[in-house]
Amino acid sequence: MPARQYGRVTSPSAPVVETGYPWPIETTRLDNGLRVVVSEDRTAPVVCVNLWYDVGSRHEPAGQTGFAHLFEHLMFEGSQHVAKTEHMRLVQGNGGSLNATTNPDRTNYFETMPAEHLELALWLEADRMGGLVPALTQETLDNQREVVKNERRQRYENVPYGDAWLRLLALLYPEGHPYHHATIGSMEDLNAASLETFKAFHQRYYAPNNAVLTVAGDTSPAEVFALAEKYFGVIEPVAEIPPAPKSHLAGPATSPVRETVTADVPAPRLYLSHRTHPFGTAGYDAITVLAAVLGNGRGSRLYQRLADGSRIAQPDFIGAYGVDLAHAPAPLIITATAKDGVSIETLEEGVSEVIAGLTTEPVTEEELSRAKALLTTAWWRQVSTVGGRADTLGRYATQFGDPATAAYRLPQWLAVTADDVTEAARYALQPESRVTLTYLPEAQNGESA
Amino acid sequence: MTLIATRPDPGEARPYTFPDLQRVTVAGGTVIAAHLPGQALASAMLLLDAGAARETSGREGTATVLAKSLEEGTAERDSAAYALALESLGAELSPGIDWDTFRVGVSAPVPQLLGAVRLAAEATRTPRLDRDDVNRVRDDEVTALRMDWAQPGPRADAALRADLFGAAERFGRPMHGDPASVAAVSVDDVLAFHQAWLRRPGVLLVAGDLDTLDLEALGEAAFAGTGGEPLAVEPPLGVPVRDQRRILLVDRPGSVQSTLRLGHRAPERATPDYVSMTLAATVLGGAFTSRLNHLIREVKGYTYGIRGSYAMSRRFGRFEVAAGVQTAVTVPAIVDTLGEIDRTQEFGVTEDELAVARSWRAGQLSVEMQTPGSIVGALSTLVVHGLPDDYYATLRRQYLETPLAEVSAAAAAHLRPHGLTLVVEGDAAIIRDELVAAGIGDVVDAEI
Repeated sequence: MPARQYGRVTSPSAPVVETGYPWPIETTRLDNGLRVVVSEDRTAPVVCVNLWYDVGSRHEPAGQTGFAHLFEHLMFEGSQHVAKTEHMRLVQGNGGSLNATTNPDRTNYFETMPAEHLELALWLEADRMGGLVPALTQETLDNQREVVKNERRQRYENVPYGDAWLRLLALLYPEGHPYHHATIGSMEDLNAASLETFKAFHQRYYAPNNAVLTVAGDTSPAEVFALAEKYFGVIEPVAEIPPAPKSHLAGPATSPVRETVTADVPAPRLYLSHRTHPFGTAGYDAITVLAAVLGNGRGSRLYQRLADGSRIAQPDFIGAYGVDLAHAPAPLIITATAKDGVSIETLEEGVSEVIAGLTTEPVTEEELSRAKALLTTAWWRQVSTVGGRADTLGRYATQFGDPATAAYRLPQWLAVTADDVTEAARYALQPESRVTLTYLPEAQNGESA
Repeated sequence: MTLIATRPDPGEARPYTFPDLQRVTVAGGTVIAAHLPGQALASAMLLLDAGAARETSGREGTATVLAKSLEEGTAERDSAAYALALESLGAELSPGIDWDTFRVGVSAPVPQLLGAVRLAAEATRTPRLDRDDVNRVRDDEVTALRMDWAQPGPRADAALRADLFGAAERFGRPMHGDPASVAAVSVDDVLAFHQAWLRRPGVLLVAGDLDTLDLEALGEAAFAGTGGEPLAVEPPLGVPVRDQRRILLVDRPGSVQSTLRLGHRAPERATPDYVSMTLAATVLGGAFTSRLNHLIREVKGYTYGIRGSYAMSRRFGRFEVAAGVQTAVTVPAIVDTLGEIDRTQEFGVTEDELAVARSWRAGQLSVEMQTPGSIVGALSTLVVHGLPDDYYATLRRQYLETPLAEVSAAAAAHLRPHGLTLVVEGDAAIIRDELVAAGIGDVVDAEI
């Protein structure tokens, strides 16, 4: 194994990093189109198996919101040779951790196992890729529909500000755009979901030629390629996978949008959001650095000026972050919550001023290197586990066609200049393109609750 | 298409190892370090014997206010300069407390760890603690707690804790205090807590590539200017359990779910039954295929997830089941949950279920311990509970080998379904009558 180079250190705060992925990557493609990515690392006796299916809520037609995610739940309920409840039992019962997630862009499934159970994990994944439909039952669908509705209640409906993301998407992306609706879907659509629709969904999208299988950890490319052929090689490709609805948007919105929600919330809160650039572009790299300068950490502009300086924002609830979506200009979200006695107007004025400052007060070298240092740590944390590595490679293989391009992200962040940040702010963060979502407590005039 | 029908057998397992540990005594303190070759990041944690248990009655939250005040400037530099210095290393401070300890953690790329630990020590040992700053942090913390308490859960947790441990006792109050107790914290309380507990050396835990980390220098940075002897651990609190169930109703008008917290007291972490209790709780409510999650989520669809577990600190433990269930099924969900706890207590666990619990717990010691941060966490368990360096290898063996009879005996002894306190946080106007009619236990409105 080659010696690992994390980069020469030139000064304590400015390490030079040539690659963000110093582990080997090997790839192959099975005859049925399944792309297989392997990243060997023998440090720990664990291995992660990860599948990215190139289907997410952006593929859902009107009336079927929430289906990609509900389908993800059904993938754990048994397949041709795996009885109901057995998937979870076999993974956990052999020491593993597992989960799956759905977002607008894609659906991923992953399990990290003690390395001796690699073959089991591949068998389980192949069985549900190739043999889910025979095991799908109305009973399973009805049960998981209720589970998902409870997930919606727990995560979005029963918590203060919990529906902010659902509202922001609808404000950021026009009606009919694939990002307009949220992945969790509507209760109405979930109630209407039929078994036949899910069978068709699986047959349409859960195809080897619509997936990337990534394995990272205590194994070799030769072993994984052979096992992939053995278990996945028999699965037929799907000839015509329908593309997602068109998602092209020119860029930031051209007129501002505002929504005010009066609800049972403990304090006034503000979300300002803009469409920026798609994840994976140079423009979005600049947005990523901009978000760190603006809203990551106690040294960020928002914290320094509004939580510390003028003290109008609660220190625990202020920040800025991009949501890494790849198929249309991705959102940047800036949020702040008012301190006791501070009005939403004062808060919005303060946040707007800090945002405007990104174009009028150039980012200093100190601010830039602070942001890059935090991003560097975040990057290495993301790839510190075999699970994080497998998911990263699966993403780059799926979205950019080559897992090796994962190595460029960190150097590209580090190459962003102060001018790039200013330009990104000028392009994407104008008041004219802003979505403003505010929450006000129901009893605004009374004593603070 | 013919999928392979036969489930594959496992390959040969590599022997389990926990990273090699090194100990260095320097400047009056001890560094305990785990070697993780090849990791880009390293983690460190200053572990001090200064948990929430050391707070003064009525001032619960003092340690939390102190933790949040550490970055408001030091003897060396003001808060803005401190944030810039630390974050320019790619590091962020994570000060925090639990019942037993005060922890100040940092992680950073390996070459930056020493600088980050120096800054962490600077904030911990010599914070500025300007009176105006501490007052402001205290007020912000009251607000932050109110934000937190507007979520479902914290009020139910507080009601359960008060019922199990006594509202007048420190352990009966929330670990981070409540809005009223934090509002009562004075600058002098914070200064006194710092003076008494944060100027002792404690232990520095390190995980990372030790080939390039200088443990002596890290220790000198962490322990400079400290003094004091290790503190005695006070005895466990015992395990009083109610002789009948009661329901505490916490009203949350408009709630679309009921938040359930069912619990009773349990032995402290040092109990010889620790492994068998953990395995029994894994079967009941730990794994995805646990009895509770299987019935309440996968069969009934009442919830997104339900868990049951023991939590244990140096002086006490408790058993708890936690879930959010749809309002309309609150009573059936409780009845089914009680049924599974009853059944587990009375009849124990089966070989099949135990096999899953064993392998899962054992495997997690590898799968969930890949990062410097997770290894530092594992080291802190060794220190807080006085466990030997080979503990994790022993624990793994115990998970795999503890006889079924011992696990079932632990369930019989340490599950007390008839002494449970059941906290239900939900829309009282909708669920009260049904709860009363169910006859599960007396229904009392919680004052919270």
